[in-house]
Amino acid sequence: MLIEVGHFALVLALIFSVLLVVLPSIGLYQNKFSLAQLAKPLVWVQCFWIAVAFFVLMSAFLTNDFSVKYVADNSNTQLPILYKASAVWGAHEGSLLLWVFVLSLWSVAVSLFSKRIPSDLLNQILIVLGAVSFGFLLFLLFTSNPFERLMLPPLEGRELNPLLQDFGLAVHPPMLYMGYVGLAVPFAFVVSALIRGQLDSTWLRWTRPWALISWAFLTVGITLGSWWAYYELGWGGWWFWDPVENASFMPWLVATALIHSLSVSEKRGAFRQWTVLLAIGGFSLSLLGTFLVRSGVLTSVHAFATDPTRGLFILIFLFIVIGGSLVLYSMRYNLLQKSNPFALFSRETGLLINNILLVTAMLSVLLGTLYPLILDSLNLGKISVGAPYFKAVFVPIMLPAVLALAIFPFVRWKKDNFSRIASLLRYDWIGIVLLTLLARVVLTDNIYVLIAIGLFIWVSVHIMVLFINRIREKSKFSLAFIGMIIAHLGIAVFVLGATVTTQLGIEKDIKMSVGESQNIAGYDFIFNGVSPYKKNNYSGFIGDISVYKIGKKITQLRPEKRYYQSGMPMTEAAIDPSFTRDLYVALGEELAGGAWSVRVYYKPLVRWIWLGGLMIALGALFAAMDRRYFLRIKS
Amino acid sequence: MILSWQFILMIVLSSLFLAWFLYRPIKSNLSDDDSNIAINRQRQNELESDISQGLIEKAQYQEAEEEIISTLASELNKNESKNITIKPLIWSMMIFLFVGVLSLSVYSQLAPKIMPNADNGINEPLSMTESINKLESYLIENPEDFQAWKMLGLAQVGTGNVEKSIESFEKAFLINPNDIDLLLQYASAIAANQDGKFYGKSKILIEKALSLDPQSIQVLYFAGIVAAHQADLDQARDYWQKAIYLMPESHPDRNIIEEALDTILNLQVK
Repeated sequence: MLIEVGHFALVLALIFSVLLVVLPSIGLYQNKFSLAQLAKPLVWVQCFWIAVAFFVLMSAFLTNDFSVKYVADNSNTQLPILYKASAVWGAHEGSLLLWVFVLSLWSVAVSLFSKRIPSDLLNQILIVLGAVSFGFLLFLLFTSNPFERLMLPPLEGRELNPLLQDFGLAVHPPMLYMGYVGLAVPFAFVVSALIRGQLDSTWLRWTRPWALISWAFLTVGITLGSWWAYYELGWGGWWFWDPVENASFMPWLVATALIHSLSVSEKRGAFRQWTVLLAIGGFSLSLLGTFLVRSGVLTSVHAFATDPTRGLFILIFLFIVIGGSLVLYSMRYNLLQKSNPFALFSRETGLLINNILLVTAMLSVLLGTLYPLILDSLNLGKISVGAPYFKAVFVPIMLPAVLALAIFPFVRWKKDNFSRIASLLRYDWIGIVLLTLLARVVLTDNIYVLIAIGLFIWVSVHIMVLFINRIREKSKFSLAFIGMIIAHLGIAVFVLGATVTTQLGIEKDIKMSVGESQNIAGYDFIFNGVSPYKKNNYSGFIGDISVYKIGKKITQLRPEKRYYQSGMPMTEAAIDPSFTRDLYVALGEELAGGAWSVRVYYKPLVRWIWLGGLMIALGALFAAMDRRYFLRIKS
Repeated sequence: MILSWQFILMIVLSSLFLAWFLYRPIKSNLSDDDSNIAINRQRQNELESDISQGLIEKAQYQEAEEEIISTLASELNKNESKNITIKPLIWSMMIFLFVGVLSLSVYSQLAPKIMPNADNGINEPLSMTESINKLESYLIENPEDFQAWKMLGLAQVGTGNVEKSIESFEKAFLINPNDIDLLLQYASAIAANQDGKFYGKSKILIEKALSLDPQSIQVLYFAGIVAAHQADLDQARDYWQKAIYLMPESHPDRNIIEEALDTILNLQVK
């Protein structure tokens, strides 16, 4: 009966999402205060029932209730308890339930932490969030019911995809969804402002902290995904340019543009039209990602389903969201036209350049992602757009953005002149050039690495100067300022890590027999053999490799080759991590004569990629905590 | 339609929760004007801080100040609206009815049509014969329900009516010929009618299951039986060894396959 209670709880949540749209709307437009103020309780009760449904499904996994089809398809009695819990979002139905649950949590957060937002605006925002959750609940219940029962329950369930039987799965999707779904909040702010025709300081001020928090989660989610792919997929890559990865990266690029555009709109009242379009675009791209993953148009490690009905539903929803928002936008266009003027050389221009570059980068990724799908669907042939395209197009677009992010924090709002900046920073620029030349002499002659080192020094030195100037001027260090510094430094750390590991990393696929040694980047890898072993839900082989450097033992690596119930082989890499390099070993296939194929990687600065990602997210959280967003307003 | 006290309780609790807020609405915090004034005042304070630290010049300060004032002037909106009171009792009743009727209607559409042990609150399981009768009458109205045909077939096997079960499995097979579980059950029923021998259609069905899922433990077990009946002991051994390899240590069927494998190995030794 518990399963039926979970199912019915979802139905109740759907009904309350209808009430959330209808009752407060009647209240707002007929000035019935009590009905308008019902938005918050409706959000709470809706979230409560979704939480009930979510935990009922989780309990079905934990208690091995194979009468539930979704549980029987994705779990079995031998699955470790952590993976039973995370298996809830391991396939389409459950992950969609997680999506809806996260959306309801965001709605509750908005209702609780928005005491400084005028009631009418807040109620309107909750109505829009209710409409979005209505769409997803409808999708969940009518096309992807996770509580479907089996008439003949099996004694044993199938298996969670072995790739997903990992700690990374337990944390990556919830974080990513927090970001993905979180973009619904700035979207709801913008749509509410458009519906009310009140495109004033208030919505601009309060949209930014929510955009920053959802962007921080999206950053953490993408970073965790990259880390998971690195250690779990067994070939040492940290970014595939896989269409589904791109689907999360595109909203990230637009959200990055949005938080910068919002700062201009909030501070200077400019770019309002642009800010509105970016908020709509960010959420629309997260819906597009949902469509790509769940419609069956993609085949990927991330793709959940091959069901055209589901794809059609999301496509219709996507059209309603984008179409409806753009119609509203065109209706309120006159109200958005007002903008305060600024000179060609000003901070506004810098942020405009940032926005243009980010949106261009997003469009280049969008083109590379959708073009093969469009050609395929029109029967014009199959093409594959891979890393070479993305690297060739994306990197040159983002290069000037990294250069600009160091300079423009020095430039004044409204109007400035280049000579003032040049005289302020000329000695630093000379120092940066000299340091880069020194790196050429001392470290490497690889041009890409030198550019990355140059960029790292460029950003770091400018941030240092900015910091010193603030101290000299005895200015206060606001959390927004500290957040900006951490995030920009995070970009520099990421660029250096990504470039160095890509350019200077060493990868070798070798055949190793027992006792054989291989030298890679000054490390001796000695193969001690492989032994079989068996665990509850898989069996496999474990390798034993000793690593020495100049005769001194560094570490013992034990890569695994696992075979799960489904027969699917899995490579579990063994990694010796450190701040400056990773030593990475993955076991391949058994060869004749007791030898094994082994992949050995030396990955310099690879950890900097994820460190940079975490710094960017941390910076966003700092910025969202700025005291400006804790303004005391008295009625 | 399935109606239980739990559902009624859920509807009542939710409606009472909302009714509470209809009688005691959450207080309004502030108006748009309050918010815009406070934000623009804060902007002005920041501007004053900037000029006092020498970050901007006097002319820039004045320009920016004018912008703040004009922005605020354009944002102020004095259209205060009167609050219209509502009758909480009527709205509470409407909410209760709306939630009750709509949620139960939607659920009755989505819930499975046959729910074991859920009819009329009776908690005792139906007998096999009652289940068969119920399924047969259900299938008259829903002849395309694959799961129901499969379940009927199984129930008929349970009562020893193998002939009838083969007919039911055939109906299910015509609806979905790629269901592994059905293929195995159907083949077993046919084999039961052939003195437990897997040949003819039952063999074809097992081969089809094997082609659909060559990693399934159950399919491998049956494929081993088919091979053993064909006297292909090497093939039977390969299938069962593979099944054992894929099985977890504590799998309930492990002993059965291990025994079958031992039998084969003994036969081969002899």
